[in-house]
Amino acid sequence: MPRPVLSRVVLAAVSAVALAGSAQAQKVDVEEFTLPNGMQFLLVPRDDQPNVVSAGWVAKVGSVNERPGITGISHFFEHMMFKGTDTIGTREPERDSKYRVEQKAVRDEINRLVWTRQYDRYFKGEIDDPWNPANDTQELRVLRARLDSLIKAQQGRGDGGPQAGTIIKDEFDQVYTKAGGSGMNAFTTYDLTCYFITVPANKLELWAWMESDRLSDSVFREFYSERDVVHEERRLRTESTPTGKFEEQFDAMFWASSGYSWPVIGWPSDLNSYTFEQAQDYWNIYYRPGNLVGILVGDFDPARAKRLITNYFSRLEPGKTPPPPVVTLEVEQLAEQRMNASGEFPPAVEIRYHTVPAGHVDSYPLDMLAEILNDRTGRLFRGMVEGRGIAATAQAVSDTRKYAGMFSVSAQARGAATPEQLEAAWQEELAALQKDDVPERELRKVKNRVAAQNYRKLEGNMSLFVQLAFAETILDWREINEAPAKYEAVTAADIRRVAATYFKETNRSVAAYRRAD
Amino acid sequence: MMAMRLSTALAAAFLTAFATAPDALAAPSATAVSPTSGPAASIPKRPEEIAFEPLAFEPPDARTFRRTLPDGTVVYLAPAHELPLVTVSITFRGGSSLDPADAPGLASMMARMIREGGTVARKPAAFDEELDFLATEVGVAATDTFTTATMNCLKSNLEESLGLFVEMLRSPGFDGDRLATNKARLHEGLKQRNDDAATIIGREWKRLLYGPEHFEGAEPTAAMVEAIDRNRLAALHRRIVHPGNAIVAVSGDFEEPQMLAKLSKAFDGWERGEPVPPPAAPTAVLAPGLYHVPKEIPQGKVLIGCRGITRDDPDAIPLLLLNEILGAGGFTSRLMQKVRSNEGLAYSVRSAVQPKVDYPGDFKAGFESKNATVALATKIVLDEVRAVRDDLVTEDELDTAKKSVIETFPRQFESKPQMLRVFVNDEWTERPADYWKTFREKVAAVTREDLRRVARKHLDPQTMAILVVGDWDEIAKGDLQGRATMNEFFGGEVKHLPLRDPLTLEPLAEAKAAK
Repeated sequence: MPRPVLSRVVLAAVSAVALAGSAQAQKVDVEEFTLPNGMQFLLVPRDDQPNVVSAGWVAKVGSVNERPGITGISHFFEHMMFKGTDTIGTREPERDSKYRVEQKAVRDEINRLVWTRQYDRYFKGEIDDPWNPANDTQELRVLRARLDSLIKAQQGRGDGGPQAGTIIKDEFDQVYTKAGGSGMNAFTTYDLTCYFITVPANKLELWAWMESDRLSDSVFREFYSERDVVHEERRLRTESTPTGKFEEQFDAMFWASSGYSWPVIGWPSDLNSYTFEQAQDYWNIYYRPGNLVGILVGDFDPARAKRLITNYFSRLEPGKTPPPPVVTLEVEQLAEQRMNASGEFPPAVEIRYHTVPAGHVDSYPLDMLAEILNDRTGRLFRGMVEGRGIAATAQAVSDTRKYAGMFSVSAQARGAATPEQLEAAWQEELAALQKDDVPERELRKVKNRVAAQNYRKLEGNMSLFVQLAFAETILDWREINEAPAKYEAVTAADIRRVAATYFKETNRSVAAYRRAD
Repeated sequence: MMAMRLSTALAAAFLTAFATAPDALAAPSATAVSPTSGPAASIPKRPEEIAFEPLAFEPPDARTFRRTLPDGTVVYLAPAHELPLVTVSITFRGGSSLDPADAPGLASMMARMIREGGTVARKPAAFDEELDFLATEVGVAATDTFTTATMNCLKSNLEESLGLFVEMLRSPGFDGDRLATNKARLHEGLKQRNDDAATIIGREWKRLLYGPEHFEGAEPTAAMVEAIDRNRLAALHRRIVHPGNAIVAVSGDFEEPQMLAKLSKAFDGWERGEPVPPPAAPTAVLAPGLYHVPKEIPQGKVLIGCRGITRDDPDAIPLLLLNEILGAGGFTSRLMQKVRSNEGLAYSVRSAVQPKVDYPGDFKAGFESKNATVALATKIVLDEVRAVRDDLVTEDELDTAKKSVIETFPRQFESKPQMLRVFVNDEWTERPADYWKTFREKVAAVTREDLRRVARKHLDPQTMAILVVGDWDEIAKGDLQGRATMNEFFGGEVKHLPLRDPLTLEPLAEAKAAK
């Protein structure tokens, strides 16, 4: 296997002013190309970890691209993408397709009945949940049993016995597992959906085969039965954790008009309601090559990788409909908002402010401000955990996304302290930030840390892969090379200015958490 | 920063990996011509038709990286010059295993206070400020049987950073105010003991398995935390943190002679004490049965399992493969296919064999399912355990498991710090020298009969505990279709364990009394 002789991560000194000599920046050398069908690729050959390649691709779509009625569909797609094609997941594509068509007809009828009759009964107060099978009418019970038997038959577990089955369960995973793939997974966020795996260096062609196959020919197998799995995922992450449901509500309250207001996993009623047609539309718009970026980081020969990629991914057909722009801007918040929650959690507070999207000129001082507040020598620890002794933990996050951003400060109480005391302490810390410049040494310290962090983020192929995925989806992959200089240029005046601009009472939302008696 | 908080992202799968696997033994699976240089038409119909070039891998030999300082301290060195960073990690034997009976958590607090309590010469705030200004990261953590201190710094300030790091280890300050702060923070943590079902099930499982007297099952009360003082921390520090009980590992951007010189200087005059002996085995025996802890949540949390094997048990490799097939192999495993993929009863379902070096660890399968289907999912898991005892697994299943373990074997040594962790752990635990060299052959030699034999020996549902955290009234009656209820297990005889007062650990009065 040819291997690059020299490390491809070239280090270049950008600035040498730091007292600690640390404010240098890395330059990651990325080979970029785009296929005629529009699919873009980023290649970073490096030999730090021999014999393996971290490989994957990003779809530039997340929950922010959804709308009421189909919330969570981006994440649901992430599940569907592991369910196979006419080649992977079955040996009888035609018979398998028949099952899917029959299932669709039954499920469409179930949905129609629920959306009309069951919703109507629910609105009148006759039943507590229109989707709960316990509340089914006789007609629905019959349909549900019919759908269940079709699903079982397709799996070879029905009355027709194993011969009737057409699914080869989880074959996608099995092929990779046999070939030594590891860490195969995917994740969905507000702005993107990312699929990845680590493969042995000699299996790059398998990766190209598998990924270009599922991108040209996903059939949404198990489109209906997989909903149960996602409901369990929702119960696990949101409904059965102490604060999960409240955090979801706080998000929904904080974002007024933006697509960031609904959860990535979607509202439960929408999760039940997606139709096959909606999924197909979504696929045709967002999963076409012009909206995808492939990324390879690791031990490979770039010329050979390029040939493989061209050979395999050229089979993806370009989309006919370009993704529509996200047009709904977050409206200005006019008055402070508050949520008071009680449950099985410690007293705590979260204070949020609307800020700016990633790449905005103010996003860099806001990120630096979070650094000034955080960690053992940060102002929150010194002021709230140690100084006033009222917090067990305290942290700040500058969360800048593709279309909007927020700044969040949260603290958990110590002893008898209340959420109000924590909030008051933050107001005092904030007043100091708005009134006085951050001292030179404190700013230098934070800059040193941010600069060193830029190196640390390059350790490990997967870490670099994830950074490229986010940077390219939200801004441009070059941001990972350009950001260090932008952070280095932030001044104390910038920080005071953003503290004054964004951290206003009318721009504030507060969640107070109290332990229920 | 750009929203890279993966905590807000949703992953498709929650896979419990049992990392171990291989490579050179995997045969190319077919003969088709690789299309890499051909025209676009040459895409094979199926992935099995792709031919792969061989990928040779020989596990690195620890001896190549092993050095000794003048005082006898063992050092592993692995230079790598891609990034201007250096990582120094010192592993000391002894962790929570040395917690006194009246002070569970003492080793954890010691580790935290070594890092946060300043040094004899520097107050905590001043010490932290120096490290942060240098952008050097230092961490100290106690696990079951080890205490590990790690320092990562820019090459440009290695001298200063190493100086601070070793000063911290040799003469920690254990500052009184910081200790008060940390005790108060830990106290707040104790209050949250019953908030999350995940915390409850973790605690109760260890209690069932190892007993509250053994350090694995022990938890501190608030009074025990309050009683921790500087003297106890210092005494434990003297026992654990010294060169006679340490192995050093260094990776990153450095040259060997200079690094050895720096380390020799840093360790000079540091008194070598006695090495810490291995921990005692627990005396508790798991009582098989059905257990329940109350918690009002819409989804029950379940663990099913028993005591397992030691790391050097001759059955370890067959059991590893069996576990891959049963529930550790991601979507390909039986539990994932039956419970999640076929029935949609859970998002995450997995099994794990966790051998321990000094005494048997455990085997456990676990999942979360809505209340109504906890019984059904439990039944399926137990049926699958019985199936690997009653019948041979298929040739294809064993083949897939072997290939996966063998093909991913090099990943154990993937990064330099990771490779050094393996070497240090192997030396501390006296792993046989040829273990990695012969690992893939041993995997390849396992038969289907071996798997059935180890299943019969080590995975007996009659000896297992089923632990359920959730809303019992909803869970016990089972699913709408009547496919399973909790009465099917151990004759429906359930032992209701109480929730415990988070500060005193005394059973809470309102908990359901045992029936």
